[in-house]
Amino acid sequence: VTDILVSISGASGSFLLVAFLLYCLGFLLFVIAITGKRWSGNDSEAHAKAWGRAAYFVSVAGFICHLLFFFTRWYASGHIPTSNMYEFMTFLAMMIVLASIVLFLIYRTLVIGAFALPVGIIILAYASVFPKDITPLIPALQSYWLKIHVTTAASGEAFFAVGFAGGLMYLLRTMDYKNASKPARKEQRWLEFTLFVLLVVIGFVGTIFSFSGAGYKAVYENTIITVDEETGQQNTRVEETLYVLPPIFSPHNGVLKEMTPFLGRETALMEAPSWMKGNQSGRKLNTVIWSLLAGGVLYGLLRLAVRRPLGAVLQPMLGTMDPEDLDEIAYRSIAIGYPVFTLGALIFAMIWAHEAWGRFWGWDPKEVWALITWLFYAAYLHLRLSRGWMGKKSAWLAVIGFLVVMFTLIGVNLVIAGLHSYAGV
Amino acid sequence: MYHVIENTKCECGHQNPLATILCESCGKPLQDSEGVQDTPLEMKYDGVARRSQKDNPGPLDRVWNFFSSVKIAVYLIIITLLTSILGTIYPQENTFINLDPSVYYKETYGTLGNIYYLLGLSHTYESWWFITLMLMIGTSLIVCSLDRVLPLYRALSKQQIRKHMSFLMRQKVAYSGPLQSEGIPADPIGWIKKSGGFLRKKGYKVHSDKDGTALLAEKNRFSRWGPYINHIGLILFLGAVLMRGIPGWHMDQYVGFPEGQPVKVPETPYYLLNEKFTVEYYEDNPGVPRIYETQAILYTCESQCDDPLKEPVLREVHRQNIIVNKPLSYKGLLAYQFDFKQTPMLLSVNPSLRNKQTGETYGSFELSMFKPQTRYQAGAYTLALKGYFPDFDMDDKGQPITKSKDPNTPAFIFLIQGPGLDANGEVYMYFPKQLDKERYRQDELNGVIASKLELTAGSMENVKISGFTSYLNLRKDRAIPFIWVGAAISMIGLIMGFYWQHRRIWIRIDDGVLTLGGHTNKNWFGLRKECADVLRKTGIDVDPKSLDSGGKES
Repeated sequence: VTDILVSISGASGSFLLVAFLLYCLGFLLFVIAITGKRWSGNDSEAHAKAWGRAAYFVSVAGFICHLLFFFTRWYASGHIPTSNMYEFMTFLAMMIVLASIVLFLIYRTLVIGAFALPVGIIILAYASVFPKDITPLIPALQSYWLKIHVTTAASGEAFFAVGFAGGLMYLLRTMDYKNASKPARKEQRWLEFTLFVLLVVIGFVGTIFSFSGAGYKAVYENTIITVDEETGQQNTRVEETLYVLPPIFSPHNGVLKEMTPFLGRETALMEAPSWMKGNQSGRKLNTVIWSLLAGGVLYGLLRLAVRRPLGAVLQPMLGTMDPEDLDEIAYRSIAIGYPVFTLGALIFAMIWAHEAWGRFWGWDPKEVWALITWLFYAAYLHLRLSRGWMGKKSAWLAVIGFLVVMFTLIGVNLVIAGLHSYAGV
Repeated sequence: MYHVIENTKCECGHQNPLATILCESCGKPLQDSEGVQDTPLEMKYDGVARRSQKDNPGPLDRVWNFFSSVKIAVYLIIITLLTSILGTIYPQENTFINLDPSVYYKETYGTLGNIYYLLGLSHTYESWWFITLMLMIGTSLIVCSLDRVLPLYRALSKQQIRKHMSFLMRQKVAYSGPLQSEGIPADPIGWIKKSGGFLRKKGYKVHSDKDGTALLAEKNRFSRWGPYINHIGLILFLGAVLMRGIPGWHMDQYVGFPEGQPVKVPETPYYLLNEKFTVEYYEDNPGVPRIYETQAILYTCESQCDDPLKEPVLREVHRQNIIVNKPLSYKGLLAYQFDFKQTPMLLSVNPSLRNKQTGETYGSFELSMFKPQTRYQAGAYTLALKGYFPDFDMDDKGQPITKSKDPNTPAFIFLIQGPGLDANGEVYMYFPKQLDKERYRQDELNGVIASKLELTAGSMENVKISGFTSYLNLRKDRAIPFIWVGAAISMIGLIMGFYWQHRRIWIRIDDGVLTLGGHTNKNWFGLRKECADVLRKTGIDVDPKSLDSGGKES
């Protein structure tokens, strides 16, 4: 039986890889369907239709493979695969693709595929950085509410992700790159910054894969002395930190045990500042710096290649779209996601918390951040009732809102530890 | 602030309340200045006057007006959002049991931590200003809803079918054109009937006016009530949270239950017995626990409950195995598996009396370490308990004392009467634990009687030991049902409001010219498509996108 399970979990991984490749292909086909209109001469409508259809079917095929991954992994592990960061992120990516498909079916607009699908692809790539092992469930997670709470919350968040793509599209479509006035320049820079952040995520995944593919490794040890409050006894514990990226920053007071030389260096460039005392904070700082560097290099190379702001390069893709439609796509996606998010991230979470910990609300950082996300989108929905908040302002809110979602999902685990810490980063 | 006396009578003859934006009857814009005629109409709440737009507001009206503003509501939401973030910077005080916050934050997080504590951010969510914010949000929810829902209800329940031309043409979806079929002017009444039929098929309720040349098609009006139902749910939810402050509504205690020993559940008539506690680990992953389980029996105390000297009389009422995610639940009392500790502790022994000379043994009785009886019988011998020291020690003067109530070093002093003993009885000291027996030299202490009789438990079968103490979190929360009902109502409201849209299409035909206006509170794309579909079916071919007038009168 164990052999069968192992081979199933192996097959499961292959399904995910196929899904990833199909998504990438689907994305390319969507881009060709939109941009190719210009070089296909008179028959631009037919071109968009044919390529768009191909793009749609490839993406749906990718989604089916993703589903196969999900259910085979469920079968192999015996529990729903949403219990650690790898599983959760792959699930979130799957739901983002599903939300894109739903919005595509409502509006039949190719740009949704070209902008929302890559958000799913980036999240899926990001998921692959986390350890892929199937982990057994600790008692607190053994509840059918795990399935219900996590899946519903992720579905709501997926619609917010498509709302983000909609907001981004609106901003790209309406940005006036000829306007050199101060406020216009400021806005252009913020939009570039948003694109830069996406490149940083890609850079992060890229560096992790390059170095771990090359078998890079560095190990540090920290000796931690704790004093038992009752007995006054000193306990010494050695904490090991494994770097998969070359250390620019070593852990504070860390002792180097092993390091593959990088660019001729055999020690870290710097030591993490002493106030970074948190668990593995030296390594996390190192990863952040590497991601920023990689994102910066990527951005720099792209700018050198096109010699224009990246937003200005993307703008023609949205050439024929009506900005009001883009505004509506973003709003609609958030309006679809909001009740789902409320149900999954707050109500089901409260029911589960009530069963597991005996209180429906405990002001745990993850809970608070779910509430913050909810309040943010509540403010968004109310602001849209006021004049002057549709369009540009609301597009920015849709973009920022998704950053709040991502902080709730990842940032809280990275920066603040709490009851949800078992979700591990 | 003064008001010019406004004429609020519309040209259609309807008398509107002050501050009405669109005539309640025909929809003609009442408050337009010349310059803004090409902007879309403000259709919020159908342009009715809200309660808060009263003339000459008194002090109470001013409070009402403050809370009725959506802008204020958004500010309150944003302030709550930002202050909530502050509370997640460092762990809150309530994450720790037994902690001196004045020391902890300074020691762990330095000066910043101390400032955090001094600002009261270490208990952000219990602070007076956070609770005030919650109360203000609750007030805003009530006032905002009441301010709008009543006038809106009034306006929607008496709609006129033939709307004013400028009302129609300044809708976001608008169309105007000659009514023809194949170049010949069409019959207006027939056309209205036909298109009404198409709209009915699309789920609209269709009303046409007396002449049969104007229609109003409407669907999903109920979705307009969604936000208000959601707000009712949220108000109930917030109310339930605040009600937990009422004494007796909310209990939250952590109690340790050693195996085999019933312990009183605070603030209730109940006793809970942890019969057996089990912890199991994953076979292939010994570091990860698989299950924690307490086999629990719940008793209610019938009498002698508060007398520390007497054994309470207990009656079993409920029996359940408690695991994480499956709390014991009995009449509103909830017991959650919280923690456990390995605490080997002697509960009772079953000793018997042995005649050292003949080897004969008499009786066997259960001797509890917690509530020993005053008298035991073993064969012909009577054992009267003269003293019990659960945690035996000697003080400076050599007098026996007990260090605590926990049976760490239990010692019993009996007066034994029976055959072969002094008529007044002889004193016998008994240490149930072998280790203590040797340490305190029981036989030497007992002197002569030690050569005649021996109290001994023999094998381990006669010893009851508690291996684990299970820590349970005992809770009572009478607000919980209200919490769930509030959440459910809120959810119903959200679904109503977000997954259906209130759509209305007005059509009127005047002298061979068809004028159409459409309004929805969401999903304009869908409404445009439906309008274009209806027009197409009756021979007017329009692109859905071209219906998007942007509200311009052209």
